[in-house]
Amino acid sequence: MILLEFQNRIIKEALLARVGVDKPDSIDLTVADFDGVTFHISSTGENKSVVQVSISIRCFAELQAHGADEYLKKVYGSNVAPTENGYSFTIALDFDKLPANKDEVINDFALLKRHCLAAPIGKYFDLCDKGGAGGDKTAVISYREDEKIYLNAEKDRVTVVFSVRFRDADDVVLGKVFLAEFVDARKRLNQAPQVLFSKEPPREIAGAGASVADNMSYVTFVLFTRHVKGAERENSISLVQTFRDYLHYHIKCSKAYLHSRMRARVTSLLKILNRARPEPVVVERKTATGKTFAKK
Amino acid sequence: MAGRLPAVVIDNGTGYTKMGYAGNTVPQYIIPSSIGIKESAMVGDKSQRRVTKGVDDLDFYIGDEAVENERTYATHYPIRHGIVDDWDLMERYWEQAIFKYLRADPEDHYFLLTEPPLNTPENREYTAEVMFESFNVQGLYIAVQAVLALAASWTSRQVNERTLTGTVIDSGDGVTHVIPVAEGYVIGSSIKHIPIAGRDITYFVQQLLRERESSIPPEESLEVAKRIKETYSYVCPDIVKEMEKYDTEPSKWIKLFEGQHSVTKKPYSVEVGYERFLGPEIFFHPEFVNGDFQTPISTVVDQVIQSCPIDTRRDLYKNVVLSGGSTMFKDFGRRLQRDVKRFVDYRLKATESLSGGAIKPQPIDVNVITHHMQRYAVWFGGSMLASTPEFYQVCHTKADYEEHGPSICRHNPVFGTMT
Amino acid sequence: MSTTLRPYLDAVRATITAAVCLENFSSQHVERHNKPEVETKGSKEVLLQPVVISRNAQERVLVEASINAVRISIGIKQADEIEKILCKKFMSFIMMRAENFFILRRKPVEGYDISFLITNFHTEQMFKHKLVDFIITFMENVDVEISEMKITTNARARICAEEYLKAFH
Repeated sequence: MILLEFQNRIIKEALLARVGVDKPDSIDLTVADFDGVTFHISSTGENKSVVQVSISIRCFAELQAHGADEYLKKVYGSNVAPTENGYSFTIALDFDKLPANKDEVINDFALLKRHCLAAPIGKYFDLCDKGGAGGDKTAVISYREDEKIYLNAEKDRVTVVFSVRFRDADDVVLGKVFLAEFVDARKRLNQAPQVLFSKEPPREIAGAGASVADNMSYVTFVLFTRHVKGAERENSISLVQTFRDYLHYHIKCSKAYLHSRMRARVTSLLKILNRARPEPVVVERKTATGKTFAKK
Repeated sequence: MAGRLPAVVIDNGTGYTKMGYAGNTVPQYIIPSSIGIKESAMVGDKSQRRVTKGVDDLDFYIGDEAVENERTYATHYPIRHGIVDDWDLMERYWEQAIFKYLRADPEDHYFLLTEPPLNTPENREYTAEVMFESFNVQGLYIAVQAVLALAASWTSRQVNERTLTGTVIDSGDGVTHVIPVAEGYVIGSSIKHIPIAGRDITYFVQQLLRERESSIPPEESLEVAKRIKETYSYVCPDIVKEMEKYDTEPSKWIKLFEGQHSVTKKPYSVEVGYERFLGPEIFFHPEFVNGDFQTPISTVVDQVIQSCPIDTRRDLYKNVVLSGGSTMFKDFGRRLQRDVKRFVDYRLKATESLSGGAIKPQPIDVNVITHHMQRYAVWFGGSMLASTPEFYQVCHTKADYEEHGPSICRHNPVFGTMT
Repeated sequence: MSTTLRPYLDAVRATITAAVCLENFSSQHVERHNKPEVETKGSKEVLLQPVVISRNAQERVLVEASINAVRISIGIKQADEIEKILCKKFMSFIMMRAENFFILRRKPVEGYDISFLITNFHTEQMFKHKLVDFIITFMENVDVEISEMKITTNARARICAEEYLKAFH
């Protein structure tokens, strides 16, 4: 698995398990996703046929300011339910009245987190289409406690800036290697968005109050019109919002890979060291019939 | 975000891995503990061959997907007899379990992992090394499976009766353990293994069916035996009486199993008779299937408790807890309780008669506890404990690890008892 | 192999071979104790002058000899930040498995990356020249491994970056 999946597997499997079941058991799950998102999957109603999925996402107020409510209503339509207490947004599905395109609907349910973040990104993509949002209109989404996404639209491009912070000192170095390769890789791939990587907040988001800190760095994606229009639009949104998790996933995988290399090297070194031990002298030799060559 | 994200609870068993978020009653995933990797045909040492180029090491599947891709990927089981055997594969198994299945950013979560009794402290260090160094987890707690099984049995009792002393009978697919636990610590020297478990029952049922039912396609007989075992089996109080019941009233007792051939789609039906109670009976009469091992489970339980320190024995008899899928048979607990009680009563009576009636011993309670979380008892116990605030106090944090090194994970303090 | 590496390793080999000349020696301070003198440093007369062989500022070997034990500490080349981290990770990984490497010290001597302690009990049970061989191979292997790890990490990062950016069409 190189790219991460966009949908939440737990939601998808929990919902699929109920398709076509006559008397489903009640369900009540609280699960997490990347970026501090939590979901609450619960069944309501007399016959437990209605399952509602609530999402709790820390920056929902900011997302709402960029039209998350409207966007989610458009995606989920009649499945939007009154928001559950303590959560940001709730959708529900009645398994007694499944629509014909049930697989798609369930898939959309599993993509709830993606759709939440898609609202502001999509909005800026549209703004780009309409000629840009201007210099000072930068959107800030604090999707994690200490990391933020900044969005800005010009008439020919959308700039997405991630503030990236590594909590582990060793990860800072590995992170740098990875980020440098992102910048490099772009030079070989013409159709990809431009990637920049800096210690200081880039010029595009100068007015947005981005801080400079020791272990903070900024990754800028410049998406061109080809990425924000037409068929590529949805794909670009999905990819952009998994960037941080993708980066962290691969840093962790590399460390796991290094561990297996080191394990291999340790075994080979041990083999060399064990050569220093003299082999035990064979004391007893036996004939084919099992008698020993003992001198009496 | 209100408060903390839930802790991740992963119970890696030999056959199946149970994983999910703490606070839930059922694990989110129960998948085989298998991993399918691309094996290169290079010569040389196993670990040397694993060193691949590029990102080839990300090309693998775990769980059910590994089973599905068996043709192109070599399937391995990184856990043997409950203990991690292959750390390379285990690390990759966790990698995918966390990122693909649970979708948790390990840096944001605390983790509760489980270990079998008598796991080595080195293995705990290796686990800590993987968890803290590769995944940067916030905190880690390694719990003993038997203790979690005890904790899981708390659901069926009062708050003030919550104790971590008891005898755990853990029976999965491969082997059955009887593990005495006192105050949250396993009495290692008294653990006993019984080489009879789920798989043996299935084989026994299969053998019984093979002798009588000719309609079962041979290639599916194992699957049919398994289904019959899971759906119809129960434990009877007395085999002879039970057989009589079947003989006098077959229509009431004999069930009909309807199957369908997976390839030809030809339906077939199987009569299920004595197998219903004979299958699980091998726990009490192991000589049916195993010539070397002839001690019934009730005797083993009694022997285990008798070998424990004398001041714990009463509590161990009082709290016999069942865990694992192969203890799910109806009336299994009741039968075990009756049989163990017989030994205990006999022993007390002997004491009384030896003393000539001068000593009247206090009767010993024998309680076998059955509860509805039995199948995932270990995971459920973990989920319950990991959602208490105390869990976060006893967890080893990343800061601790960096200061003291992996050796801190050698000891994981017991917690959760209401004392 | 670069031109300076061979003489460096040869010098290390010669020094260690000369230093591993050990005999059983009981402690002069505590009765019925037998401890590596180089560690306890209790009696000056049984300690030898330590030797440092250095190839450059980082790559150097400290050989501290005494009557019943030799302590060999190795400084490993760390050209940049990533090599430093890889070296740190690799050494702590090895030191965690010290019980399998009989002659490995669980902690390095101050200022070095990894230390070995060869006592007279080791030389009694194992071939002396093979032990020396091991230390030399160890030094070669570690350098090779660290640079390989660095290369593969970079290669991995490149593949990951490309895969991600390729997904944008």
